[in-house]
Amino acid sequence: MIVGGGPAGLSAAIRLATRQQHDGGEPLSIAVLEKSRQSGSHMLSGAVLDPSGLDELLPDWKTRGAPVETQVRGDRIYYLTERSQLRFPPIPSSLDPFQNHGAYIISLNRFVRWLSEQAEAEGIDIFTGFAGTDVLYDGDRVVGVRTGDRGIDKHGERKGTFEPGVDIHAAVTIFADGVRGNLTKTLVQKLGLDGPAPQTYAIGIKELWEVPPARLDAGTVMHTMGYPLRSEEFGGGFIYALPEGKLAVGFVVGLDYRDPLFDPHMAFQRFKQHPLITELLTGGEMVRYGAKALPEGGWYAIPRCHVDGALIVGDAAGFLNSMRLKGIHLAMKSGICAADAAFEAVRAGDVSASALATYQELINTGSVRRELYPVRNVHQSFGGGMLAGLAFSGLSLLTGGALPRGRLSSEPGHRRLTWMARYYRTEHPDPDVSSNAVKVDRAVTFDKLTNVHYSGTRHDEDQPVHLLVQDTDICRTRCREEYGNPCVRFCPANVYEMVPEDAGADGGTGRRLQINASNCVHCKTCDIMDPFQIIDWVPPEGGGGPEYEGM
Amino acid sequence: MKIAVCVKQVVTREWPLRIDDAATWVQDRDASFEMNEPDAYALEEALRLKERHGGEVVVCSAGPARVAQVIREALARGADRAIRVESDRLAAADGGMVAEALASAMRDEAFDLVLTGLQSDDQGFAQTGVVLAELLEIPHATIIMEVQVTDGTLRVKRELEGGWFQWVSMPTPALLTIQSGINQLRYATLKGIMAAKKKDVRVVEPSPDLTPHQEILELYVPEKGKQTRLIEGSPGEAAIELVRVLREEARVI
Ligand SMILES: Cc1cc2nc3c(=O)[nH]c(=O)nc-3n(C[C@H](O)[C@H](O)[C@H](O)COP(=O)(O)OP(=O)(O)OC[C@H]3O[C@@H](n4cnc5c(N)ncnc54)[C@H](O)[C@@H]3O)c2cc1C
Ligand code: SF4
Repeated sequence: MIVGGGPAGLSAAIRLATRQQHDGGEPLSIAVLEKSRQSGSHMLSGAVLDPSGLDELLPDWKTRGAPVETQVRGDRIYYLTERSQLRFPPIPSSLDPFQNHGAYIISLNRFVRWLSEQAEAEGIDIFTGFAGTDVLYDGDRVVGVRTGDRGIDKHGERKGTFEPGVDIHAAVTIFADGVRGNLTKTLVQKLGLDGPAPQTYAIGIKELWEVPPARLDAGTVMHTMGYPLRSEEFGGGFIYALPEGKLAVGFVVGLDYRDPLFDPHMAFQRFKQHPLITELLTGGEMVRYGAKALPEGGWYAIPRCHVDGALIVGDAAGFLNSMRLKGIHLAMKSGICAADAAFEAVRAGDVSASALATYQELINTGSVRRELYPVRNVHQSFGGGMLAGLAFSGLSLLTGGALPRGRLSSEPGHRRLTWMARYYRTEHPDPDVSSNAVKVDRAVTFDKLTNVHYSGTRHDEDQPVHLLVQDTDICRTRCREEYGNPCVRFCPANVYEMVPEDAGADGGTGRRLQINASNCVHCKTCDIMDPFQIIDWVPPEGGGGPEYEGM
Repeated sequence: MKIAVCVKQVVTREWPLRIDDAATWVQDRDASFEMNEPDAYALEEALRLKERHGGEVVVCSAGPARVAQVIREALARGADRAIRVESDRLAAADGGMVAEALASAMRDEAFDLVLTGLQSDDQGFAQTGVVLAELLEIPHATIIMEVQVTDGTLRVKRELEGGWFQWVSMPTPALLTIQSGINQLRYATLKGIMAAKKKDVRVVEPSPDLTPHQEILELYVPEKGKQTRLIEGSPGEAAIELVRVLREEARVI
């Protein structure tokens, strides 16, 4: 049983079917649970695909018609200042931090839809529209997952169409629920699986544009660093050119910024206002929008991924190379390794953690570790700014990742968020105004609400709020005073709003939290970045969420 | 009772729609699709009738290969089997052409009851069901809010204007076009999804003589009439001019 139909989960499923075909024996029943309405709907990525994972999974992918067509041709890296840019001279490919040689620009949404067709052709059941809400245990052994109830109204009462969740039991459960997966999160907590370093994250915000085709040759890959981020923020922009004038335009910001009034969505707008980018976009049309977090902690932040009865794969575990901004191929490879381990364990009739430890061995002796271990210190260095990071990446690659002074320490990103009073010292900023606010023109730049309209997001309005805030009193008192309610800014979909408090409420700051849950694009940023760690993202009714066609 | 439900696959309304280069249809290459809303209610009604009176529910759809998606959804919710008329020419076809395509595939089945949605979310002609009834030579009733069956006779509630309803009795076989919201849609279950895979889908090609009855010459977004005009002059003159403009140009007073 696989929870999460992204590249990791589907690769695991397909590999299991391939093994089954190859090795014979009693047929396994393989199922994938996916919360989105259709396969691929919740996929948002760059995406530059390193095809090595695909080569391993389905070597004949070309003849199977994989939507992997646009080869990367040119790779440009820029350093931006507010009004100008510096283009880096071509970097020798051995030092190029992105390593894009032989890669393709794809839509992950299309790619995953194709993967799911391949899986279904193998007889695998893919249940879309079903979210896993609880891990089922027998003691400390994972025995399956429970799916969410459907047909519950906003007061928690059953509607006429109520359909209870079901317990699905499996010999082995593979958790592929993506970055900050709600099931993996509880599993890691309950069984104490944390890696040596805390996981750190970034948020990626992306738009798909259609511009006159001659602007940028299909296959062109651009990355920027510098403006609009300051040296205390890490991240940068990307533009990937697809055929027919389609551009994937995105911006990634580390979720370890200090300024409580910083707004990642505004940073993205500023990025698009830079002359280099504006020139590419002017006269074009923004056709899709979305956002999603990505795990950037690297090798040391990966939890223990095998327990009795279960394995963790892909972004859920943190198999992402933050220096290359690539996780798809690693998600696929980890899925393949997990499938191999699970297959053998099931055949041997022993699915205990020690039997499933084969997974760890396959990761350690294969290409996943070979890629991630040498860059194990990179994210930490990015904390000091991306330019330093780039220089360091080169050095780090040359020295095989060894650092002059051993491992750098790191802490969960939300801890770096600073009190307003401490960050701004003598000023008294307005907590309702972002420090990097810009006026949007609705041509190249947009406000969040307009953007969300382009994410295709839809939830049944009559259901319980799926963002559980343990104590909303903190929002109207301490959080407002100390941090100025940063959720309003770091949520890229305008879900959190501080609205005037009803008359008669006592002890607050005049504002209370309103949650517009149906706007949620499932990016997981609030679950990650909330300084009080009191927001729990749980899956809404299955089938709800964004519709990332072409993203 | 042997019930047929005709469902159409339409572009979802989740994004602002865009017009294609030829300006004759919306850009649907990059779109995502779903079951036309009133058709989903028609399907639900059929499933409920089957639960009450027995029989089978056959889902029928005409369109390009992609409509397999809505057929599968219908089978997962409980329809027993399906007929799919496949042709790229049916992608944005008019109601008459779709009805002809469906009729030739459905005629030999001799259904007791055919349900369709009231109208489609994309073209909204509300004609496919009506024309289909004519082609199948059975009576029809439109905008149905409730269906009762006793001994092979139908009693149906039609929605009229302004909160008025009409009850009509009619014999079977018949065709009804169903209004949205008449029941509560069920969810597809895990079991239903698994069972759907094994259900029979008959794929038929439409006759080569099938031709459109209508041609879309141009599709455009309604022009937004928001305009600001400043009326100059002294307050007295401006007031007179304002009344004139409102009366003669805007025609609102
Ligand atoms: C802006 C951005 C740009 C990126 N660019 C690139 C790039 O250029 N190249 C590259 O290789 N990588 C890139 N990545 C990273 C890459 O997209 C991820 O590493 C990859 O998608 C991880 O795959 P996964 O299957 O582990 O997780 P995901 O792709 O996140 O899939 C997880 C799936 O599980 C489902 N799910 C989650 N919870 C539940 C639940 N409880 N029940 C049921 N289903 C559930 C989700 O809906 C989702 O479909 C980028 C990421 C971002 C955000
Ligand atoms: S509510 Fe949380 S998960 Fe949803 S869009 Fe906002 S930050 Fe992302």
